[in-house]
Amino acid sequence: MLPLNIENLAVSFAGLAAPVLAIDSLEISAGSHVALTGGSGSGKSTFLNIISGLERIRTGRVLWGLQDLAQFSEGRRDRWRAANIGLVMQDFHLFPGLSALDNILLPARLSRVANADLVKRAHTLLETVGLKRPEQHVETMSRGEMQRVAIARALLRSPSVIIADEPTASLDLESGDAVGDLLLSVAADAGSTLILATHDQRLVERLDRRLTLKAGRIAADTDAREIAA
Amino acid sequence: MIGFILADLRRLWLGGAVVVLLVALATALGVAVTLQERALRLGSARAADKFDVVVGAAGSETQLVLSSVFLQAAPLPLVDGHVLAKLAADPRVAWAAPVGFGDSFSGYPIVGTTTSLIDSTTSGFIEGKMFALEGEAVLGAAVRLPLGADIKPMHGTAETGGHTHADSAYKVVGRLKPTGTPWDRAILVPIQAVWHVHGLGHGHVEDGHDAEEHGKDDHAHEEGGQHVEGEPDHPETVAVAEQSQGQRHAFALGTASASHVEEEHHGSIDPDAPVVESFGEHTPGLPAILVKPKTIADAYRLRQEYRTGSTLAVFPGEVLTGLYATLGDAKMVLSAVAAGSQGLVAAALVLVTVIHVGQRRRQIGALRAFGAPRGSVFLIVWLELFLLVAFGVGIGFLLGLGAAHVGAQLFTEKSGVILPVGFTREDLRLALVLLGFAAVLAAVPALLAYRQSPAQALRA
Repeated sequence: MLPLNIENLAVSFAGLAAPVLAIDSLEISAGSHVALTGGSGSGKSTFLNIISGLERIRTGRVLWGLQDLAQFSEGRRDRWRAANIGLVMQDFHLFPGLSALDNILLPARLSRVANADLVKRAHTLLETVGLKRPEQHVETMSRGEMQRVAIARALLRSPSVIIADEPTASLDLESGDAVGDLLLSVAADAGSTLILATHDQRLVERLDRRLTLKAGRIAADTDAREIAA
Repeated sequence: MIGFILADLRRLWLGGAVVVLLVALATALGVAVTLQERALRLGSARAADKFDVVVGAAGSETQLVLSSVFLQAAPLPLVDGHVLAKLAADPRVAWAAPVGFGDSFSGYPIVGTTTSLIDSTTSGFIEGKMFALEGEAVLGAAVRLPLGADIKPMHGTAETGGHTHADSAYKVVGRLKPTGTPWDRAILVPIQAVWHVHGLGHGHVEDGHDAEEHGKDDHAHEEGGQHVEGEPDHPETVAVAEQSQGQRHAFALGTASASHVEEEHHGSIDPDAPVVESFGEHTPGLPAILVKPKTIADAYRLRQEYRTGSTLAVFPGEVLTGLYATLGDAKMVLSAVAAGSQGLVAAALVLVTVIHVGQRRRQIGALRAFGAPRGSVFLIVWLELFLLVAFGVGIGFLLGLGAAHVGAQLFTEKSGVILPVGFTREDLRLALVLLGFAAVLAAVPALLAYRQSPAQALRA
């Protein structure tokens, strides 16, 4: 399990005076479920990109366990992300023309790590997320079903961390609730750390901890119990 | 990875098909030009293969070869008949045969020649036999006439307003095996018949001891107006005597010139006269003589000797080489056009794929985000384009081959020359060059995809 430690992180883009993200210190313990909130432009996406190793870190340290992403090359970050992070996105990013099963296995196959065990796990995961037809092409599915496929894909390599970016925002209320339930339960079952950016208030309330970003800085950091109180 | 690429191509099949089609057409153009030019070169060289030396009257070398080897109808100056006699007697010559042309029948050229030429240049008969009488004819393999058909020679061709020699007719007695040369389209008749149709060679020969007798014979056969009697055991004579319509051509025509021959062709053949193939001093004029020298050295010496004054000796191969040089220039122009079109297609492809990769930045970014290594992303984009282009090149080669075959067939039908269309090692090199080019081409969008930051791509 991987705890997250961020120290003196600053992310700037050329042409912008103020950094889009500046975090002096942040700790997220392994296995915790954290909600990330904030208005658009608050730096949520940048934060997720940084901690998932999608973006290069120029200033500060981002430690997952003992490994500092800032020290990694791009290729090394790709490999590390593939092995440790399960990503779920608002727009699913499934590949049309491929079946649900093939979509789940695609990243593993492209990394040449797909073996019989992983294929078996993909079948199991499809059942876990409540899908019955592994050969169904994704473009024929409902949006709720697509997000389930995306979740199964994120879980394939048993990542220690699940990062979800507005996973329910493009779904109707009912499927959104179901997807929220699913994410929480699979993260709990696997003991994974779950970091979830969302506007969905009801989903936020079900997580342990809530981080609020404003203009690239952490504006609030509260425990769920405190919110409830 | 292949599964992903195939799924992607299935989804984008229309665009893919257009890419394949563009590449195929551009490739086919180049391939067809190359194949056709090579086939033309090989085919015409093979057609001239059996003709070592051609002797004619002084004039155009090219026309001499085109008329004798390719049977292209054109008025040629005539070479003196005694040249044939001299050549036939030359110890350096294996055989020398006259070729007489100018007549045609339903589009097929009628060629007067000798049995020795037919024996030496063909591989035998499909059916029937060699002509033995003056009124018999042998068909080339591609002549669509039945055995036993009557052939009424027409002077010149129908298109050029020729007239029929109404009172002369040959009977078809044999059909030759195909040779793959224009001679497959020819109707071969004894040379003496051609002379007689045109009122030539009805001559007494000075040393023919029974000339007087022939004279008497002729008068005895009024209604046919003809009688020919061979003297096969008299090698130095054209044992033909005739008085047709009261005219005596014989001696005058011993040194016939072109104008001389053109002015009158009143004559006819005696269909039952035996074929005589010994040629003496008073053999009529000839458009061309095919000579088979015994050795290569003899060939050079003969050519040297007969290139003086009134005669012209050529190696058809050498004349063709000169023609190919011209053909080569034309091919270079066509090849440049083909290469230009290939370059245009390549540029269009780069443009389209770069735009396409730009449009799919998010998808490519997502692949990376979900853990696909950069190398895989590069390979996917590269392979996808390369496969399309390679497929197009493959189809283009087939299309080019097909087009060259169709072209060759049309050419064969018209000329009788069989064009051997086929790929050689040179084409393999062209294919490899094209594929190498495609590999470099496909690397452009692949590199673009490789360099994309996944986070930026997702944000777009």
